[in-house]
Amino acid sequence: MPEFLLEIGVEEMPASWLPGLTEQMRQRFTELAQASLLVPEPVQSFSTPRRLVVTGQVAARQADCEEKVWGPAAKLAKDAAGNWSKAAEGFAKKSGVPVDQLQQAAKDAAAPNDPYLFFIRKTTGREAREVLSSTVIPPLLRALTFPKRMNWDAMLIDERRGDLPFGRPIRWIVALLDGEVVLVTIHDKQAGARKPIVTSGAETRGHRFLPRGRSSEKVKVTSWSDYRARLQERCVTVDPGERERAIRDQLAKGGATNVQDFGLLEEWKHLVEWPTVVFGRIPDEFRKLPTEVLQTVLVHHQRYIPLGEGEHVTRFAALTNADRAAEAEIVRGMERVVTARLRDGAFFFAEDMKRPLSDRVRDLSGVTLHQGLGTYAEKAERMAGLVDTMGEGLGILTKGERETAREAARLAKADLTTLMVREFPELQGVMGGIYLRAQGHPQANVAEAVRWHYHPVSIEEGSAPARVFSGGDATVFGAVSLADKLDTLAGYFGLGLVPTGSSDPYGLRRAAQGAVRVLLDFWQTDETERRPSLRKLVVATVAGYGGKLKRPEADVVRDLETFLLERLRYVFTARGFAGDEVEAVLGAREPDALDDPRETWKRLQALHRVRLEATEDFEALAVAFKRAKNIIGDRPPAEVDTGLLQEGAERDLHDAVSELQPPPPGSGRQGGGVDGGYESRLRSLSSLRGPVDRFFDDVLVMAEDPRLRANRLSLLSQALSLFYRIADISKLGG
Amino acid sequence: MSPAKKGLALQEIVFTLQKYWADRGCLIHQPWDAEVGAGTMHPETFLRVLGPDPWRVAYVQPSRRPADGRYGENPNRVYKHQQLQVILKPPPADIQDVYLGSLVALGVDPAAHDVRFEEDNWESPTLGAWGIGWQVLLDGQEITQFTYFQQAGGIDLAPISGEITYGLERIGMYLQDVDDMFALEWAPGVTYGRVRKEEEYQLSRYSFELADVDLHRRLFEDALKEGWRLLDTKDAKGAKDARVTLPAYDWTLKASHAFNVLDARGAISVSQRAGMILGIRKLACAIAQRYVGVDTETEPRTAKGDAPAAVKRA
Repeated sequence: MPEFLLEIGVEEMPASWLPGLTEQMRQRFTELAQASLLVPEPVQSFSTPRRLVVTGQVAARQADCEEKVWGPAAKLAKDAAGNWSKAAEGFAKKSGVPVDQLQQAAKDAAAPNDPYLFFIRKTTGREAREVLSSTVIPPLLRALTFPKRMNWDAMLIDERRGDLPFGRPIRWIVALLDGEVVLVTIHDKQAGARKPIVTSGAETRGHRFLPRGRSSEKVKVTSWSDYRARLQERCVTVDPGERERAIRDQLAKGGATNVQDFGLLEEWKHLVEWPTVVFGRIPDEFRKLPTEVLQTVLVHHQRYIPLGEGEHVTRFAALTNADRAAEAEIVRGMERVVTARLRDGAFFFAEDMKRPLSDRVRDLSGVTLHQGLGTYAEKAERMAGLVDTMGEGLGILTKGERETAREAARLAKADLTTLMVREFPELQGVMGGIYLRAQGHPQANVAEAVRWHYHPVSIEEGSAPARVFSGGDATVFGAVSLADKLDTLAGYFGLGLVPTGSSDPYGLRRAAQGAVRVLLDFWQTDETERRPSLRKLVVATVAGYGGKLKRPEADVVRDLETFLLERLRYVFTARGFAGDEVEAVLGAREPDALDDPRETWKRLQALHRVRLEATEDFEALAVAFKRAKNIIGDRPPAEVDTGLLQEGAERDLHDAVSELQPPPPGSGRQGGGVDGGYESRLRSLSSLRGPVDRFFDDVLVMAEDPRLRANRLSLLSQALSLFYRIADISKLGG
Repeated sequence: MSPAKKGLALQEIVFTLQKYWADRGCLIHQPWDAEVGAGTMHPETFLRVLGPDPWRVAYVQPSRRPADGRYGENPNRVYKHQQLQVILKPPPADIQDVYLGSLVALGVDPAAHDVRFEEDNWESPTLGAWGIGWQVLLDGQEITQFTYFQQAGGIDLAPISGEITYGLERIGMYLQDVDDMFALEWAPGVTYGRVRKEEEYQLSRYSFELADVDLHRRLFEDALKEGWRLLDTKDAKGAKDARVTLPAYDWTLKASHAFNVLDARGAISVSQRAGMILGIRKLACAIAQRYVGVDTETEPRTAKGDAPAAVKRA
């Protein structure tokens, strides 16, 4: 089979797009070639910032094919006089066949005596080169999607004739089939067919600058292996995997193995065509700077990997697209940039350290949070007040926890007035923690709680600051983090500044997810009475504004509850749980999801596992309970009069329900505090399937006798309510 | 620092770049005579990129960013810096190579350095403008912003324009191998500090300490009002006047600068900020609409081939 090679030469694509684009090239090419009957063999794709490449083998030409085309029924083909009918002649004309050459056959095997006219359409397969240039490459150029597309005044004169937006401008295309050029042309949008701007050929381009003096030459290639080899000579490694190996080898050679790379290695291989790793030194004068400051400058601003001995960052590794011979000059430039930035950092650190952080709390009265929400000083007070309420009103913090959390809440925002945070806003919180530690704050844990209080920011269970805190420390962190997020939410909701569509300028969705996550993953307690209720916390937070909110408090509370429930749903779904399972546990009562998110989370995990074990039982129960719910509506469960139970199936269901009734409150077994509690309870509840099914088979619920009907409804309602403590089973199965 | 290593003086960098771009068909324009935050705000960029007419222009634009003022004490950060801005409309297919040629003209051999185009899209919320592009890194130092304009004044551009913005001080520091902007050589024997340090001190002091907040609030409001008043004027036929866009745009720039001063003075809260930016953007977008003729009863502008001789030669 002939070999196909396509290279789309582009101006530098963003590194973060390349993994996705490389995969798209492979998938879309395979699909399009298949749809065009070219039977592509294993297709491979590669990329550098300046090229997207796909290669594979395809059929030399499409297979010929024959196809029966059916016309009118034979009985309608001739009139009474035996002449061809209009219908038959019309079909023959449309088919391009003389009417007497049309054939007849039964169309439907079930009706052998009802023949129809047909003819055989023969399609001769087209040459692969022609197919690629018409129905594969142009649609491929259109099919690629980008996180952000640009208009570059280009158009394709293909079937869809029109604009060709792309990720970056295309500057050349290599398209070869067994070394022969496959023609593709891109035209200027304004001038159209008069002005081609890119025409495919057999010439690629090498590295922008290397090898010296030859970089502007075009490079003729004949095949994939030739292409790859010629490019390697021209300082382009086209395979990202190979570039990654080169990077790792060079790092190892420079004594940097097992480094903490902050995700940079994944990015690095897509940043350059010719990876050359260089190493720079951090001047000794910056030894005393906090590691986080060094990391921020190196990682976030320069994309360099910090290297060091022990805790100290002493060197950095940087990726270049350059010639090794230029290393010394390049490193000098890089060190100068890093030094300039770090010198700023060192100056800020020294200045900031001149004052205790707690002194800065009063400066917060000069920092506006939002016109309608006052200053950060007021916010700090509200946060501290909310922590007090958590301790005293709600009783969910011990005295010690409350005191620590209160102090942390008071200090949490003070670093906003430091020079360091003004320069590196991503270090907010972090610097507060560092300054508190460096200045020796007397209360343990205050610094840590301040350092982390903007977290959690991502929704994965194990993401930061998981593993930093445990036990009471986690509670202190949770209290401060929650106070911050809930205060923000209540404030903006109170002003009516609620996220809409894709617009969320104050990051309220993230704040709500963070709040939910604190309760799901951090604030853990086995004592039922010390379990935080999101519902009560919302009420307390809104009350903490002391009537300063523009909207009525009840409205704010209601909207916030809806919003938080929505974010809880989002977090659950994002963690991979099926939508119907999430709906089922969110539909549970006593306590509901907002009263106890963590229990809801446990119930969800239990439901998911037990349903996997007993899928059929749950399907059947879901169907039955949907039916029951339709009949009962929202009627609360009433007592069942056993004297009125007539049918056997009715009595059986009643027995099963009584058996499964939870023990009265206070007897210690209720609540499922142990993770396994929900699972075993769900397992026993699934045994209701038989009795419920029989009940619906044998018993007429809507009996004519109103007393019988009411009693049967009560029985069903009791059966339903057994599950309500865990999940609304009727929501399963969509 | 060895004297042999010393690169071009700041003014020689300007001469070199102006000559380089003039040779490639650019008209050499002058800085706009109003306070602006970036070369993009010069009407030679903001208005010329609108509509279909081809254009090529280059100019130096001193750019004032009051909040970046450091009293002349920070070696890297200043109240006012200088950009050299190039607009190529439409951008030629080899625009990146042409740009790299300008670095060679400045004495940078790209094969002996690490020169990279790193993703960095540009957006100006005050001008309703955005583009796709890169920052150009020279051994880790950002020396140029390179943008394909997609929209200006809220209007999709056809054709698009290529914008190249050189940070002159940054390039100078790199070429002259100095760590302190004020040690740059502006002209042979004259430092940047001697020319500008006092100005930095006084302008920083003004923006952070002395600027009258109430006055600037009034200036901001009045400037926007005057801009809208101009757009409301009618021509002889009673139609919306198409020939008021240039003064109206000047008032937009004044409003923008008043905003920047207030911002440096710490007099703008988060919510006010969004509202004020929106106020400027609305006016800028209305001017852009009027400029291309969308909101007047007159014929829209079409390509008239009235590019300057310098542009036609390209």
